[in-house]
Amino acid sequence: MTDTDAGGVPRSTAEEPWPVRVVSQKVGAWIAKLGWVWVDGQVAQISRRPGASVVFLTLRDPSADLSLTVTAHRDVLDAGAPELAEGARVTLHAKPEFYPARGTLSLRADEIRQVGLGELLARLEKLKKLLAAEGLFARERKRRPPFLPRRVGLITGRASAAERDVLMNTRRRWPAVDIRVLNVPVQGPTAVPQIIDALKVLDNDDTVDVIVLARGGGSVEDLLPFSDEALCRAVFGCRTPVVSAIGHETDAPLVDYVADVRASTPTDAAKRIVPDLAEESRLIDQARRRLDRAVATMLDRETHRIEAWRSRPSLARPEAMIEQRAADVVALRDRAGRSLDVRLRAAGEELRHTVAQLRALSPAATLERGYAIVQRADGHVVRAASEVTPGDILRVRLAEGELRVTAEQEQG
Amino acid sequence: MSDETLSYEQARTELASVVERLETGGSSLEESLALWERGEKLADICQGWLDGARDRIDTARRARTEGA
Repeated sequence: MTDTDAGGVPRSTAEEPWPVRVVSQKVGAWIAKLGWVWVDGQVAQISRRPGASVVFLTLRDPSADLSLTVTAHRDVLDAGAPELAEGARVTLHAKPEFYPARGTLSLRADEIRQVGLGELLARLEKLKKLLAAEGLFARERKRRPPFLPRRVGLITGRASAAERDVLMNTRRRWPAVDIRVLNVPVQGPTAVPQIIDALKVLDNDDTVDVIVLARGGGSVEDLLPFSDEALCRAVFGCRTPVVSAIGHETDAPLVDYVADVRASTPTDAAKRIVPDLAEESRLIDQARRRLDRAVATMLDRETHRIEAWRSRPSLARPEAMIEQRAADVVALRDRAGRSLDVRLRAAGEELRHTVAQLRALSPAATLERGYAIVQRADGHVVRAASEVTPGDILRVRLAEGELRVTAEQEQG
Repeated sequence: MSDETLSYEQARTELASVVERLETGGSSLEESLALWERGEKLADICQGWLDGARDRIDTARRARTEGA
């Protein structure tokens, strides 16, 4: 029992393979299922052989590196897009067809319209609103390129004025800068896919710190690739900051809004990505001089302050504190001495006075005159004979010396 | 806080108070003498810091001129 596919149609098997005709017939059927479609694309090639009723076109996707062959009757072309030239943007109504003879596929168009500039610009505006709404232009998503990039990635047309401007000005400002250039077509149908590839290459190059997308001035059509949605999304997706320098000051393709930095011209881009060495070194010297001055003034001020303290009398002339005290001591000593004198003199006076008193009271003068003092053993001075009994030992004190006598008897 | 770890500002502040106390007087001879010695030491410490700073700057400048 041969197995069948969903529709009950018998499957091909190794043992019972389908012949080519059956396969190509099935393929044709599948392809036809797509039916009529409106297609937007860019004309890469047109081949109109004189006399031939059928015209062949190569239609490219505006962003991706894909294309399809289109066949159309000459009248269809003449009606919809008379002087169609390569590079033109068209919209066509076509149906895919499979030619079994050579197994080729192409679109058969029954209507071709050339997309005018106005229409293109209108689409551009619509895309601009869409991207803005999605936040691709959001300021906070923009990253600042490094002050001094190790390496600059430059995507620009080969040997173009833009390339020369960016290289010359960047090197003039910072001679040591390292620039990796990727040359790409900057207009026409192949521009967008190649720029997107170049962006990927540079974004993945870790040594590249900033990517510059530079293109000189050009017609609106020339600059259209730089408003392409896929390119804008690619720029937005870059991890490395992107500087867009497209066209003249007045040109503002959509990539300008998405890029991290918008430079008005390729020369301006140079100013944005590298500092000016001369200017920077001048600033550094200036800063260094100001540093020196600031430190010097601070040190001088502090030194003066310390010297001021050192010269304060209490430190400079410590002797002062000793002198003062020495003077005090001397003064005190003097006072002490003087008060001593006074006191001594007074004491002396007092002594003399007391001695005089003593002498006045003392019996010495009387003794001098020949009197004597008689005392009993008990020290009592005898004033009356009755105070003495015979045999008492008495002490007779004379002016000079004394006698020990014994009383005999009382006289009358 | 041993003297070695005294910062310039700390030494300077203490020096100021030592001078003040010396000038207001009223301390004993022994104290005044000790204060005076302390004042001199603190002044030396401050001067040491300033001289050190000046040396560091000079060496840095010399290194810079040699290096440039």
